[in-house]
Amino acid sequence: MTFFSALLAAEAAKAAPHAAPAAAHGAAESHGPVADIMNLFGSFGVDLPHLLVQLVNFSILAFILYRFAVKPALGQMEERNRLIEKGLADAQAATRRLAEAQQASDAKLNAASDEAAKILAEARNSAKAAVEAAKAEAQAAQTEVIAKAKAAIEADRVKMLAEVRGEVSRLVVETASKVLAENLDDATRGRLNEAAVKQLAR
Amino acid sequence: MSAASVRAEAKRLLALSLEGGAVSSDRVGAVLAALAKSRPAHTLRPLLRAYLANVRRELTRGEARIEHAGPLSTADADAIAAHFTKALGRPVRPVARRNDALLGGFRVRVGDDVTDLSASLRLATLAKSLS
Repeated sequence: MTFFSALLAAEAAKAAPHAAPAAAHGAAESHGPVADIMNLFGSFGVDLPHLLVQLVNFSILAFILYRFAVKPALGQMEERNRLIEKGLADAQAATRRLAEAQQASDAKLNAASDEAAKILAEARNSAKAAVEAAKAEAQAAQTEVIAKAKAAIEADRVKMLAEVRGEVSRLVVETASKVLAENLDDATRGRLNEAAVKQLAR
Repeated sequence: MSAASVRAEAKRLLALSLEGGAVSSDRVGAVLAALAKSRPAHTLRPLLRAYLANVRRELTRGEARIEHAGPLSTADADAIAAHFTKALGRPVRPVARRNDALLGGFRVRVGDDVTDLSASLRLATLAKSLS
């Protein structure tokens, strides 16, 4: 009550300089702890009303600044901090996913490498088996061809021998027949007939 | 008259023509005379053909057709015929014909049976065994 009354008095003194000394004097002349404090500040050069006004102005300014500058700035900072934290979290998540993807990629690469090695080994084994089979088949075919050729040669040889033998036999018989036909006389043939009759009778 | 009945009739006429298991010329004459009297001439042709074939076949069955190289005595021919008469159980008479291509020995045919004791057959057998 006294503080505000003193403040009002100080304002009134600014408005009416002539009346102020009297009022200030009246107020200065008043007693109490407030007056003592004011006197003490006054002795240090502190003008209490002016200080109060400045405090009010400062408070208003501070309020305005806080309301329209600091608070939005703080909000923006908080939003930015949140975005930064989110970005960091996202970056960490991305790093983690990247690491996981890298691990998965490495695993797939290793698996693919193993699979490729396995396929290559199987292909080599298959090629080797195919080559071996082809060799065996060629060997068998060669053996078969040789056997057939030998058989054909043997058959030709046997056939030729048979033909030669038959031809020789035919020539021998033909020659013998001619010789017999030329050299057998009736007496000899008659004896042959008698011998045949005896053979028939047996 | 069907072919089967003609064959049966010819067979019956052949049976009438046999005397002692051999074809008799007298009986054949009698059969032909009877046929000429009993049937028209234009119906006898197939029957007479079948009868002729039967008679020929029967005569062939009763002959020993001997092909021989060189001389063959009558005694030897008779001996050959006697052999086949005994073997076949019917009279067989010899019919000899010289064939020097046989070289030596003889070949006998009685009906469908052939007995070859010729040198040419032996040479042919030898040639076959050598080839």
